[in-house]
Amino acid sequence: MNPDRNLGTLLDGTLHDTLAVSLPHFRPELCLAATIVLLLLCRMLPVLRLVDSGFLALGGVLFSLFFAWNDVLTLGGGAWASSLGDLLAGRQELFGGLLAFDSLTAYIRLLLAGFLVLFILFTKVSGIPDREDGADFYTLVLGATLGMCLMASANHLLMVFMAVEMASVPSYALAGLLKGRKASSEAALKYAVYGAGAAGVMLYGLSLLAGVLGTCHMPTMARALASLDSMWMPGGTGMALAIGGLMVAAGLAFKLSAVPFHFWCPDVFAGAAAEVGAFLSVASKAAAIALLLRVAFGLGTTGSGPDHAVQMAALGETRHFIVGVVALLAALTCTLGNLAAYGQTNMKRLLAYSTIAHAGYLMMGVAAAVALAGRDAGASRSAVAAVCFYLGTYVFMNLAAFAIVALLRNSLRSEEIASYAGLIRTNPGIVVATGVVLVSLIGLPPLAGFISKFLVFSSVMESVSLDAERPLMLVLLVVGGINTVISLFYYLRVLKVMTFDPPPADRTADAFPLVSIPGALVTALVVPVVSLGIFWSGLYAFARFAGAFAS
Amino acid sequence: MTGMLAMDISSLTDVIVPTLATTFRPAPILAALPVAGVNWHSVLFLLFAALACGFAVAVVAADNVVRMALYLVFSLGATAGLFFLAGAEFIGAMQLMIYVGGTLVLLVFGVMLTAQAPLVAIKASSSDRTLAAVAGASLLALLLTAAFSVDAWMAPGSEVVPAPSATPLGMALIGVRVDTPPPGSPAGGRAGYMLPFEIVSVHLLVVLVGAAYLARAKRRKTPRAIDAVASAMPVEPVVASTASGVASGRPAGGAKSALVGGGR
Repeated sequence: MNPDRNLGTLLDGTLHDTLAVSLPHFRPELCLAATIVLLLLCRMLPVLRLVDSGFLALGGVLFSLFFAWNDVLTLGGGAWASSLGDLLAGRQELFGGLLAFDSLTAYIRLLLAGFLVLFILFTKVSGIPDREDGADFYTLVLGATLGMCLMASANHLLMVFMAVEMASVPSYALAGLLKGRKASSEAALKYAVYGAGAAGVMLYGLSLLAGVLGTCHMPTMARALASLDSMWMPGGTGMALAIGGLMVAAGLAFKLSAVPFHFWCPDVFAGAAAEVGAFLSVASKAAAIALLLRVAFGLGTTGSGPDHAVQMAALGETRHFIVGVVALLAALTCTLGNLAAYGQTNMKRLLAYSTIAHAGYLMMGVAAAVALAGRDAGASRSAVAAVCFYLGTYVFMNLAAFAIVALLRNSLRSEEIASYAGLIRTNPGIVVATGVVLVSLIGLPPLAGFISKFLVFSSVMESVSLDAERPLMLVLLVVGGINTVISLFYYLRVLKVMTFDPPPADRTADAFPLVSIPGALVTALVVPVVSLGIFWSGLYAFARFAGAFAS
Repeated sequence: MTGMLAMDISSLTDVIVPTLATTFRPAPILAALPVAGVNWHSVLFLLFAALACGFAVAVVAADNVVRMALYLVFSLGATAGLFFLAGAEFIGAMQLMIYVGGTLVLLVFGVMLTAQAPLVAIKASSSDRTLAAVAGASLLALLLTAAFSVDAWMAPGSEVVPAPSATPLGMALIGVRVDTPPPGSPAGGRAGYMLPFEIVSVHLLVVLVGAAYLARAKRRKTPRAIDAVASAMPVEPVVASTASGVASGRPAGGAKSALVGGGR
């Protein structure tokens, strides 16, 4: 046995890797885990039960946010102010290659922690969960977020699967939060059954990929893929790899609620509380997009090295496959999501289909980023930045939309669109806020949604002009344009009901005024939707920093 | 599963059989019998494979929930036998402990305690059965084609890989890889498994809290705040194709009847 395989050396190496390299970058996740334990400990003693679990969770998340922000600072070092070429991803592998720590990890973690702060404040205002359910609710939310942080940094197939499960299983319980209500239990059951099926399919796909390539470590898998020749000869590994890839795509598509794996989404959103819908539609989606970027770039590109160009060329076929699958799913998701949103009468179901459609737009950006990776690294980074910017604005847009639904439910006792009729006569402020959010979701200037969509579409356009997968990207561009027009109608229909329709005769309560705590929350969420549409360069600089991961 | 079995056929019969055939020399008394030349490894493999597949089919074909669970025990137990035959004792033992010993016993108890007369028998309509058979058969055909299309999985192995003992596995779980990589595997990317080993405990804690929350039927001290908004939740999911005007006549509080509340 050679000396460097001496057990003492190995142990020292592991200890150093864990304590000095990995754990310092794992502090946001550690904070979440510690908060979970604290939340449960506070239920042990009668005195400690006086501690409000919501504020305890908020404290833990603020610590997590602080460490995530610290990571962004040390990694970015203020570099995002300078030109794109200067950006370095600062990629590090944690825990012996299981996780990747780079600018994308830092950005998504910051996004998730920031979202959680807003989300917990929102749940405190909206009153679900109440005191009795609080500890369970926040434990589940923080546990799911822990999984989402891992999704954003997974670098190994084992972690891909574990992270998806860690994010999903608590969500099943969250969907059943309103215990004893038929719709809620049905939502939880449906979500759990579909989720278990998707997890099984994905696990089979992962095992096929690992079986062919002989490893689970994604950068090593990419190198093994690059060295494969005669993949499509008879007896080659092409078919097994393609089927494995498709099965993994099915698992990821379930998390993204992409068509044709979207069936759970409307039922779960309609059955679960609006608060849970907000969590699933924002946090879960952001993490799933990050994981899609991780897997697509992990398998389709290689890091810098002496034979970088050769390997990138050899991976062209892999990228072609990934782009094809993602682009097809994106076009389907976008179109079906927007078309199905038409007939909805329940606001939560409408937002569920809107979430599906937005997953489609985001996947278009991912497809463009992967397509550009082989052509122009800078353009590919811009495409990733566009997706990250979209996610950043999406947090505010969708959280505001669900917050309005939840707070209107508290006062109007209904989530049907028809029950919002004529709200402009009594509560013009709320209608204006809803209008801003919905117009931003359509993607009209001068709001944040417009910039996001513009950036994503321009990166698709960029790949058309650089001749990266040109026909496919041209189709995507057309589909995206048509879908934006389609979405105009169903979002505006809600506004039409709110403004022009007469109020229902049986309405007993008024909506909340804008000058109140719920009103202040809505205002706080809507102001960024407007201001990010005008002063977008700050967030875009952050997003470009995240995009630097695609080196 | 069938795809994996197809992989196993090649690796098992070609790689491990020669060693076993030399290790287990038939006893002299057996030499006189007509079974002397039988490759016992192949026989056992076929036996376990047939048991695993047969009981898996039986799970699907059975109508009674308790029987389904029992067949699943047999199917998963036979799969553990396949792992033992392949020389992966650790996975085989885990399969027995986790699936047969833990999950399925829990499943059987759960089924036996909760299944009431109308729920014990599960009858699928014939159209459902046909649809499921077509979908399953096409997936099976696809996976089998994929598994058999790889020449490397069909070729006889050149070398017998010694199965790792418990020590390297235990070391890998605390993050140190002391095992030597098998020949022909790509260089690098051999991670220890400390993070998944530790983080899964947080996950299990969270999931346990979720399960306890859903299962708890404690009488509430205070009425839930959300019970006041009962009418906000539609009893049935609104059908996607419902025209926009139809649902506006939904009576407020129509969902009240569906309320059981937390106070059972």
